[in-house]
Amino acid sequence: MPSKEHSNEQRFDEIHQAFENIKEKHRKDLGQKDVRYIKGIRRYSRIFEVIGRALIWCLPGPLALLGVPFLFLHRNMEAIEIGHNVLHGQYDSFEEIPQFHSRKFRWKAPIDEAAWRQEHNGIHHVHTNVYEKDPDLNHGFLRTNSKVPHNKWHYFQLPIYLFFVYPGMLYNFNAQNLGGNDKFRERRFPLGNKGYAVFDNTEHLTDDDVKIRHNRAVWRVLVKEYILFPLLALITGYSFFKVLLANLLADMINNYWIALTIQATHLTEPLQSEDALKNKGKWYVSQLDSSVNFKGTRWQSILWGHLNYQVEHHLFPDIPAHRYPDMAIEVQQVCEKYNLPYKSNENWWQAISGYMKVLWRYSFKESESLPVEASFLEKEASHAK
Amino acid sequence: MLNNIRTAIHPWAIKKLGRDWLEYLASNTMNVVTERLDPFIWSYDCKAKIIEIRQETQDTKTFVLLPNQHFKQPLPGQHIELTVNAGNTGEATSRCYSLSEINGDTVSITVKHNPEGKVSSWLHQNAEVDMVLNISSPRGHFVYRDQKKLLFICAGAGITPCFSILKALDKKTDRPDIAFYYRSRTPNETIFKTQLEQIQNSSNVNISYSRHDDAGISYLPNQLLEAYPDLKDRDIYLCGPEPFKNAVLEYLNTIKYDLNKLEIEHFVRIDSGISQTRKFDEDVTVFLKSRNISFMIEAKDCDKTLLEAAEDQGIHLEHGCRSGMCGTCRTNLVSGQVTGNQLGKSIYPCTAYPASAQVVLE
Repeated sequence: MPSKEHSNEQRFDEIHQAFENIKEKHRKDLGQKDVRYIKGIRRYSRIFEVIGRALIWCLPGPLALLGVPFLFLHRNMEAIEIGHNVLHGQYDSFEEIPQFHSRKFRWKAPIDEAAWRQEHNGIHHVHTNVYEKDPDLNHGFLRTNSKVPHNKWHYFQLPIYLFFVYPGMLYNFNAQNLGGNDKFRERRFPLGNKGYAVFDNTEHLTDDDVKIRHNRAVWRVLVKEYILFPLLALITGYSFFKVLLANLLADMINNYWIALTIQATHLTEPLQSEDALKNKGKWYVSQLDSSVNFKGTRWQSILWGHLNYQVEHHLFPDIPAHRYPDMAIEVQQVCEKYNLPYKSNENWWQAISGYMKVLWRYSFKESESLPVEASFLEKEASHAK
Repeated sequence: MLNNIRTAIHPWAIKKLGRDWLEYLASNTMNVVTERLDPFIWSYDCKAKIIEIRQETQDTKTFVLLPNQHFKQPLPGQHIELTVNAGNTGEATSRCYSLSEINGDTVSITVKHNPEGKVSSWLHQNAEVDMVLNISSPRGHFVYRDQKKLLFICAGAGITPCFSILKALDKKTDRPDIAFYYRSRTPNETIFKTQLEQIQNSSNVNISYSRHDDAGISYLPNQLLEAYPDLKDRDIYLCGPEPFKNAVLEYLNTIKYDLNKLEIEHFVRIDSGISQTRKFDEDVTVFLKSRNISFMIEAKDCDKTLLEAAEDQGIHLEHGCRSGMCGTCRTNLVSGQVTGNQLGKSIYPCTAYPASAQVVLE
């Protein structure tokens, strides 16, 4: 029936407009508040760094561990609340803070910025939860749905990730963004990259370029954390290894923290169809359907880089993240009005245990092929019939 | 003392580390302390320090510049855009200058004093050694393209790009056949006089001067065919004041010279006051500053987005959804204007259209 189709189309137009209105409202409101916010976060990060490094440097033996939480705070804020959000271009429009412009910013994380922007902003955020398109569905070789062909590595995916990958999660990102993971699967997996998103070399990098980009991203962190500061301690009469170990601990906690934050926000949600991109209203709905929030206070949210507002982040990736808690109220109203999914876990732990169960469930080969969970748009379409 | 250390370190760092490594080190150590310690190296902008000033003729000076790590290696014949806070109001004013010399890590510009020009006046009156200027990376297509027979036709300060190509070619072993025609008012106003004579003596480059009160044979621009009987076989590089270029062009037309073999240097000036409503319909040049490449959008293609126009030219721009939602393509407008999806200086090439003859993106 053409009229029904028409009203359906109109509905998605309205949905599109409703979300655009929220975005436009906040774009108009951008200003000194946002500049002050990001500068303030950087100031706190610096203060935590000074306290953390000073305690680690000067306090004897195990007491130096007192500095680790501060160093963790510094590294975590730099990595996600500053780094992740800045690289989305959230602060590009403020001319007075070139240090927070996406193409000028340098991460204090071992990740190549240009490749990350392409993979994360250009692919993950556009094709969220799309089979064989979204690299964040597997972060290496995870199997998180029954469509991915099973092999013997997957039996051990949970312990491998918990004990070996998460402590160095950020160091694994270049492999995902620059094609290293594809080569690994090509070599080790019987079906190669089937079921996985592969690296699209849009910059036409040669193998040597990739190596240089990777090394430069990683060594800037390694030199600072594991050579420079331990050496400074040594030449001022303190222990080299104490500083090295404390920095290692802070680094590992930070990697673990970020891994648990980012993995808890998509893997439990249904796969999406690539067609959603053809209609802006449907694209917004597929973003709603593929993301899940978890609740926390504003202070906690900073430590999660506001990634706990994953739904808002996926709807409006380049609006400064500290606005998400406010936007969430408006987004929920739109979802209620149009009967759209708005998913949220009660707390971080619930989000973590939820996705751990997914990792566990898909570690094993299904005895019979399970139907893949349908996306909201698919369910709605079949319901209409 | 800090100043002396910096003066000593800058040429050393750029030479020994190279601009690429220096960029890596500086960008990763940028913070409030380092930015104050040395704003030349710890900077997001392409800057150059004046390291020498030479008087060439009475009203012409050469400024030897040491650019920082954001500068890309230039080709002989290219130009830079220089921005100074000139005039009584001290507002930022820009002019393009061809590079007259490229020497390892330094480049030179040779500037004739134009009393009405803000930038050249500022350079002649206020510029001193050790001052830091804001410059652009090198641009332009006025470069040598492996032709076999060349003729440079230049006048006045227009000699600068021709001279830098000449010097580069003079060092080559398989040098092409070069003829060099230079018109200036008097012998005293001949820029690079001694250097030109040296080149003429040491190699078989044919350099001829055209001067009002010259004793020797002197050809006017409309006698070029007499001076160079093989003119039509030669690829011509033309640079000079506007009336001179027009006179030569007219002459070349009358002798039916193949204009495809002609390269003219002219600087694109950014025009302001573009209407935001009407579709822009001129040829547009888009510069991608950080990658130091440029591409043209023809007038008929101005209804394409910047992203599509770039892709038509085989240039890849970072992008994602192509509909202005994901923000991947977001970049900043340095100069020029666009219409469509923009937010202050930030623009979204996937949903923005050109609206000025020159658009410079980061």
